[in-house]
Amino acid sequence: MKKKTIALLGNPNVGKTSLFNRITKLNQKVGNYPGITVEKRQGTITANDQEYSIIDLPGTYTLFPNSLDEEVVLKTLLQKENEDYPELVVVVSEPSTISRGIIIYQQVREIGLPAIFVINMEDEINAKGLSIDYSKLEQYLKTKVYKTNARTGTGVDALIKVFNQEVGPYFGAMNLPASYQPAIDEAKKLFPLDTEYKTWLHLALDSQNIHPQDISQQLKSIRDKYQISAQQLQKEESIIRHDKVQNDLVSILSKSENKKLSFTDKVDSILIHPIFGYVIFFGILFFIFQAIYNWSGPLMDGVDGIFASLGEFVAANFPEGPLNDLLVNGIIAGIGGIVIFLPQIVILFLFIAIMEETGYMSRVVFLMDRWLKPFGLNGKSVIPLMSGVACAIPAVMSARNIENPKERLLTMLVTPFMTCAARLPIYIVIIGLVIPDRDFLGFNLQGITLFGMYLLGIIGALLSALVLNKIIKSVRNSYLIFELPTYKTPDFKNVLNTVWEKSLGFLLGAGKIILAISIILWVLGSFGPNDRFTQPEKYIAMEKPHLSEEEIQNEVSAYKTEYSYLGYLGQAIEPAIRPLGYDWKIGIGLLASFAAREVFVGTVAVVYSLGEEVDIEDDEQKATLFQRMKSEVNRNTGEQTYNFATGISLLLFYAFAMQCMATIGVVRKETGSWKWTAIQAGFMTGLAYIAALIAYQLLK
Amino acid sequence: MQNKVSLDKLSKNDEAVIDSFLNDTLPAKFYELGFAPGSIIKIKHKAPFNGPVCIQIKHDDSLIAIRKSEAALILAHKI
Repeated sequence: MKKKTIALLGNPNVGKTSLFNRITKLNQKVGNYPGITVEKRQGTITANDQEYSIIDLPGTYTLFPNSLDEEVVLKTLLQKENEDYPELVVVVSEPSTISRGIIIYQQVREIGLPAIFVINMEDEINAKGLSIDYSKLEQYLKTKVYKTNARTGTGVDALIKVFNQEVGPYFGAMNLPASYQPAIDEAKKLFPLDTEYKTWLHLALDSQNIHPQDISQQLKSIRDKYQISAQQLQKEESIIRHDKVQNDLVSILSKSENKKLSFTDKVDSILIHPIFGYVIFFGILFFIFQAIYNWSGPLMDGVDGIFASLGEFVAANFPEGPLNDLLVNGIIAGIGGIVIFLPQIVILFLFIAIMEETGYMSRVVFLMDRWLKPFGLNGKSVIPLMSGVACAIPAVMSARNIENPKERLLTMLVTPFMTCAARLPIYIVIIGLVIPDRDFLGFNLQGITLFGMYLLGIIGALLSALVLNKIIKSVRNSYLIFELPTYKTPDFKNVLNTVWEKSLGFLLGAGKIILAISIILWVLGSFGPNDRFTQPEKYIAMEKPHLSEEEIQNEVSAYKTEYSYLGYLGQAIEPAIRPLGYDWKIGIGLLASFAAREVFVGTVAVVYSLGEEVDIEDDEQKATLFQRMKSEVNRNTGEQTYNFATGISLLLFYAFAMQCMATIGVVRKETGSWKWTAIQAGFMTGLAYIAALIAYQLLK
Repeated sequence: MQNKVSLDKLSKNDEAVIDSFLNDTLPAKFYELGFAPGSIIKIKHKAPFNGPVCIQIKHDDSLIAIRKSEAALILAHKI
């Protein structure tokens, strides 16, 4: 028997996703709609001796689209050839905003789709001071009305049972204003099979992405002929529907005091207070970052330990040779380098998911919009920017819910400036080398510098937004309208599900690219063009005859690095980076950083003949690395390589340069444009080069 | 006829009835979320330094935030 497709449709914040999770029992797939970056959630269940494919459509207020998400909803419901075209639409609403739910329900019925109506959060009906006459409501909607509570599961089974039933016929529709009738009649020729309302809807859409281009053109010429605009039709409809529903509901719905609102009111008077609101928000931010660094430490050590012992195990148990080396130093080290960031990412997304679930995140948008707007960003840019402190990859993806295309693009372009987790190990090493471990006004200088690097990331993001804002043309007017939902205790199933999805997205998305580059780097570092690479012992014995066994061992790996392909590449780029104060050894580190920035530390450790396994958390090993790096002499200048000038130059370079291939990949996917991806990489790396150049030339 | 005033001019806790939009730049979404003519609204919060305004839509008790620049385009009369 054929699968029956059922779509869940409803406003944001009505608990639709919780309901979806309940119905599918988390047996779901999250992917993208073809060709665009809107998240698609689809689940499969078997019930009533039938298989159902359940689609969780993005939350939307009506069928008229303002964002990519909403366009997806409309396309799914409008196009019969769409693979997700539903055989039943389940309109989900919640008690207090039921009138909005009814409007979208009526729109769906009037385009000719069978639909049923669900009031979720039924436990709040009383608390919100509502009483509903259900039989009248059912009569009005011409369908059964189901009550559910997605948090406890109440009513969900009863809802699933009716998925099979035929929905009764629907009659009566919005009275289309008579003045538009000639235009509608003309449009009807384009869509002979569609209902009157659906024809009107076609005419009221001016988005390029809904209709094929020729139809879109013809609709436009009809609108032009009758001197009407799509906007005008949409507004007419909104007003007609709004007025009608308000009138009709008088006899169905009665209201007394809303207790939920008075609670939200009290909390809001503190959380979005003009002063305390900001104090609390920054307090929460501070707490989150504290938590990230304190809690993730042991977990990261654990991950590190596991991969180290896995590497040792493989090294010992597989036959020696290049394959063994590829497994240990290419693949296992590469995967370990990705997984090590998972704890920080999980913790950050845990907090972000909780903030979203409770309703606090929209308060943050409210507080921050004023301060981000001058930079061409939007209150909603806060979420990507915050996430960018863990990892730019999921952060760029979270820019999806910004409606305005320009503000979304800007947000994605500047998010990688935020100080991500991978920059931290490099900062720690370089700061440890060039900044004195002294107190200044009661604060540790190294600590202040690290904090300064975080600030620099934020400043870099905002100022770049300011510059790019002048360059990018706006297609649509910027506006901001969003709902502040009532506060709720988070649904932990949802929270965990979100964290799981984001983390998995990071692992798979970034993982592929980081792994591929790790392998390429391994190849470049493991082979060389001549016998200086293959027989380094011969040359070492000639150049430095008095070395001990262990020193020779380390010297061999340093020698091999220098004369590997990677080493030659480092030497090839040396002329370009010499003005920044770097030598070819740092050049190798820079090249290696393209896999992921943190690789720098491991790579320079090899270059400085310390062997691969340098753990900067281990004080003794750190001291050895520092000592070795401090004594390193730049053969171009004859000075200490890691002096103050080079150190600052390196810090600035790492703060600004786009060095993460995985981020480049994600930006390409999310912007859908190589042009913007290239502009971003060029802009960031150019800025990094110039900043590092100026700093070095001034300080040397 | 009462005096029409744009929403950005109202103070916290003022209540008003929406009359019309000053021009066509605001999308239909503003009507859909509750700024339709005839709707009763209450100013709940204002973010500092001309930040967004948080408005309660009386008929469904929802809280909607809009920028001050958009509030300036919505005309209403105080009640």
